[in-house]
Amino acid sequence: MKLKFKIVLCILALVLLAQLIRPEEISLAKTPQAKALTGVPQKIAKILETSCFDCHSDQTQWRWFDRLTPVNFLVASHIRDGRKSLDFSHWDSLATPQRNAMLYFALNGILSKEMPLSSYTALHPAAKLNPEDIDLLKTYLLNNAVSKPADVENAEKATEKQAVQGVKKSPNGIAYLPDYRNWKAISTTERFDNGTIRIIFGNPVAVEAIRTGKINPWPDGTIFAKTAWKQQKAKDGSVYAGQFVQVEFMIKNAKQYAHTKGWGWARWKGENLLPYGKTVKFDTECISCHRPERNNDYVFTTPLAINDLNRK
Amino acid sequence: MKISFTVGIFSFIILLIVSCKPPVSDRINKEASKISISKLPENPLELTPLAVSLQPEAQTMATLYGNSTAAKRLKDGADYAAGSVLYLVTWKGKADPDWFGAKIPDRVITVERIFIGQNGKKNYAFFKGPAHNTGLEMKKDDRESAILSIPVAISP
Ligand code: HEC
Ligand code: HEC
Repeated sequence: MKLKFKIVLCILALVLLAQLIRPEEISLAKTPQAKALTGVPQKIAKILETSCFDCHSDQTQWRWFDRLTPVNFLVASHIRDGRKSLDFSHWDSLATPQRNAMLYFALNGILSKEMPLSSYTALHPAAKLNPEDIDLLKTYLLNNAVSKPADVENAEKATEKQAVQGVKKSPNGIAYLPDYRNWKAISTTERFDNGTIRIIFGNPVAVEAIRTGKINPWPDGTIFAKTAWKQQKAKDGSVYAGQFVQVEFMIKNAKQYAHTKGWGWARWKGENLLPYGKTVKFDTECISCHRPERNNDYVFTTPLAINDLNRK
Repeated sequence: MKISFTVGIFSFIILLIVSCKPPVSDRINKEASKISISKLPENPLELTPLAVSLQPEAQTMATLYGNSTAAKRLKDGADYAAGSVLYLVTWKGKADPDWFGAKIPDRVITVERIFIGQNGKKNYAFFKGPAHNTGLEMKKDDRESAILSIPVAISP
């Protein structure tokens, strides 16, 4: 009896002592002044503030139980990782297309049921989103953030073109792959969130994997190239591929790219094919948005059955 | 006793058979891949994609494919040479279930083929896809010139 009491006392003391060890974030935390998302209706801003700002902005509201060690370390790590993926703190400095892209990113995080984290909503039930909130977000984006195609510029006649010479490597060391236009189209997409139209190319390894149905995981050697063009409207009302925006690659090699989910990620932008990304780890951005597809080997596209279903 | 043993073994074997089926992914867009290939001289999906287009009114999306002769246009911008085979496959568009903000191909509405023979003689053929509705009227001459004038998607 007495021993038990001592043990309990010891644990209590340890817990109290542990409260002295706290993540840096908590000592920096001031009571945040409410700063609303400018340019969006209050209702929309409110939803995001209530459900997401604790982890995706500099306006974290620490509740008393969030402050307890060791919970506070968990919370701090959520904030660190959360803000790496999506950070509303710089909203005011963003141009409208970037703001819209951020809202689409946020909504898709919600629709994929990843967000807000369920461990968080368990303790913060007010952050749970109900279907009406989600509909509100969807309707807002559809009515206010759909990119319209540019009108036809005098359809310039295609001329003999010079291949861009000496394309630089991506910051993570991946070299440009110029041959993808000879690959097959595994799908096409219209992106009304950013006004582009896309072809997703698969190399011969990808096409063979589709034929045999072995696409989860995709075999080593699979490469996807996704090209995006600005939508351009012609006189007859149809929309065509206009200005070239970018080409992105995913290169499968489970061992070589083990630290980036088995894929090498790279993107080249514009007519001059400038490599995208400031640091070696620019690809965390790619992975974070592809993460809801982690049960599908991080691939969004549902490919066409290029040479299977239609075999003679 | 014996019966229940047999039944046990039997269901065990069935379980094995069922669970040993190779994991064929359901993440293939089968609906969008049905194009009554038996009627077509070649499988357009296996050709080189040259262009993409959207028809906002009809809510459709289309891809222009070409054989290697036609695909030269991507490089030199020249007119389609004799021997070019072009296919325009038109799909109904549908919301991408994995990304709010995108549309992907649903069922095929039409497949159109143009063959360009010696001295520029053109041969147009039209095939209905599973999502074709009979109301759609396709005039051969209009379609020929429309398809041949689709701007190819240029990349550096
Ligand atoms: C408890 C903290 C927390 C809350 C609340 C929260 N998130 Fe997150 N969020 C995270 C963390 C942590 C990550 C990083 C996940 C990773 O990389 O493993 C993340 C990642 C994301 C991503 C990147 C894609 C993904 O799914 O990983 C999006 C988009 C996102 N959050 C949107 C939201 C939205 C929208 C809300 C509000 C509805 C929200 N989050 C609420 C912690 C949170
Ligand atoms: C904001 C979200 C987002 C980010 C960030 C992102 N992607 Fe994607 N990616 C998508 C979506 C959605 C698709 C599905 C196709 C489409 O409609 O664009 C996709 C498709 C792709 C594909 C075709 C294969 C597939 O998964 O379907 C490639 C290749 C690709 N992305 C590469 C990249 C690379 C490389 C980066 C980083 C430089 C990147 N992505 C960053 C959302 C994103």
